[in-house]
Amino acid sequence: MADTLTILALFNDIEPAVNAIDKLHEMGVTDGKMDVISGIPFNHEVLGRPKVSTFIPRLAMGGAFVGLIAALFLIFGIPGLFPLHVGGQPVFPIPPFVIIAFEMTMLGLMGTAFVGLFLASRFPSYEPVIYVPEISDGKIAVVFPCSADMQAQFEQAMRSLGAEQVRLMEAKAL
Amino acid sequence: MATTAESIALPDVPAGESEDPRSHLMFDPRPRGEMNGMVLESMHKTSKKFWGVVVFLVLTVAFALVGAWGYMIANGMGVTGLTRPVYWGIFITNTVFWIGISHAGTFISALLRVMKYEVRRPFTRAAELMTTFGLIQAALSIFMHLGRVWLFYWLIPYPNERTIWPDFHSPLMWDFMAITTYVIASTMYLFLPLLPDLAMARDRSTGWRKTLYRIIALGFRGTEAEWKHLKSAMNIFAFAIIPVMFSVHTIVSWDFAMATRPGWASSIFGPYFVIGALLSGIAAVMIVLFVIRSTMVNMKYFIRPEHFDFLGKLLLIVSMTWAYFFFNDYLVPWYGGDKFEKLLEDFHLHGPLSFVWVSMFICNIIIPWAILWNKKWRRKPWLMLVVGILVNIGMWIERFIIIPGSLTITRMPFTWREYKPSIEIPLTIGTFALFLLLYMLASRLIPLVPVWEVQEGQSAHILRKVGKAKIPSVGDID
Repeated sequence: MADTLTILALFNDIEPAVNAIDKLHEMGVTDGKMDVISGIPFNHEVLGRPKVSTFIPRLAMGGAFVGLIAALFLIFGIPGLFPLHVGGQPVFPIPPFVIIAFEMTMLGLMGTAFVGLFLASRFPSYEPVIYVPEISDGKIAVVFPCSADMQAQFEQAMRSLGAEQVRLMEAKAL
Repeated sequence: MATTAESIALPDVPAGESEDPRSHLMFDPRPRGEMNGMVLESMHKTSKKFWGVVVFLVLTVAFALVGAWGYMIANGMGVTGLTRPVYWGIFITNTVFWIGISHAGTFISALLRVMKYEVRRPFTRAAELMTTFGLIQAALSIFMHLGRVWLFYWLIPYPNERTIWPDFHSPLMWDFMAITTYVIASTMYLFLPLLPDLAMARDRSTGWRKTLYRIIALGFRGTEAEWKHLKSAMNIFAFAIIPVMFSVHTIVSWDFAMATRPGWASSIFGPYFVIGALLSGIAAVMIVLFVIRSTMVNMKYFIRPEHFDFLGKLLLIVSMTWAYFFFNDYLVPWYGGDKFEKLLEDFHLHGPLSFVWVSMFICNIIIPWAILWNKKWRRKPWLMLVVGILVNIGMWIERFIIIPGSLTITRMPFTWREYKPSIEIPLTIGTFALFLLLYMLASRLIPLVPVWEVQEGQSAHILRKVGKAKIPSVGDID
């Protein structure tokens, strides 16, 4: 919509930020339309917001499984293709398999957790975004859309709840 | 954020009655912007002395590491002191030593994170960096030992025209897999909690630093979703990397324990090595913290006597555990009465290297036990530096005794020969110089204190009134 603006209200503390979120709910801004940006992580229960789901644990479990399969190939597939008969030792040794399987499973688990962060957060992202540097100085930003005719009301509401700054925002490069 | 700076009501404690809570970092909050500024100032403010040391280290690396290694490659392994029966010498000693050093980062960052030890917060990154840079030295030492280093890729299992595959029966292959896993995982684990601090550095930098941080911060802003994903990934790493850490040094110990050599074939080598790694690693963290605190501006705010106190207690416990394993490892062969085991123990205790054995005993047991029981002494950073250095000397000696020291005595007495290192000495100096150099350069580019974690911790700490006292308490904010 052409007349939809993005407002960023900057708070110095968590309590007024949470009050502002409640107020925005009252004023008809749904959780899906607002975002909270902060310099330290806050639990969704602290913010009174819906729980953010993440697929990273499931992806990591998948990665662990792939690692295990790769270990199976290394420890059983390779000796099957190129058998090494060494002084009475089994061609398919089980105890070494446990070690290789453990290492590769863990590597798969952690490797995909790492990649999962990139996928889930869409990193790297150098596109213009809504952000102010004060956030990494510990401020809490509540970002929400509003129509041009409601702008003054929203700004007044945020200021009355203790917002240090209320700004009209446009996406900018970081 | 005001939560940290203003909402904590500090008590009026009459002087001399009890400790001021503000002596603890978690109860001495400062605004986040100020802490950010302090950390960035410590990165940017460099003296001529700093660059003088950097130049000295670059020259040391160039001559002692690159030059000596090039000479060794050109002339072959004959220039080392390695000869029958000692084919594993200082290179392998260094490998085991550096892997041990690398354990502290994971232990402090992951295990203490999982166990929610709040005292860890300001120095997790300093320890994690040690892990990554320590593992680089371990890998270099292994490559030196390979001799024909350009063929190192033969260790990697991949289809090739030689149709030769690594033999997974061999503990050396397990070692390769374990160390590779640990290097990759610990590097990723270093990067994850660094992201918010890189974003902070991006927001407050200009010029080439701004460009650099903008790229490596990946566009992190601190949205709810980004924090959720980051915390989720960090949790997975914190839990998963702990067993990997234990596995790495256990597998390193199996390189020795799987051989039927006197002094090596021991069923307790796994935990004995792990504890030894923690002993040297924690001692190394104390050294690093002392250096950071003494040489970088504003670090006295973040690194305090309470942190040395905590590490000192940890070191004392680990030293006692190490002594327990050491005694086990000594007693059983002594009681078993195997001729060559007895000869080896006699060689360690009464041979030409007996002073080394005694030094190890003093550095790893007597010094820590004599000093670390005292809280006042544990809170003296310079004393903790001395203890840290001595313990690390002791642990290096322990590896030397286990590897070339034990290989001297074999089951074939006509091969007995003392190991006299030659080019290994400059190469060892070179690895230490490279470690210091990498650390010093990283200290100018990476925030060594995870500011967001410190602030998060401070926001979770409150003073709770119980009767007439105010008791420090911490809330679970995860």
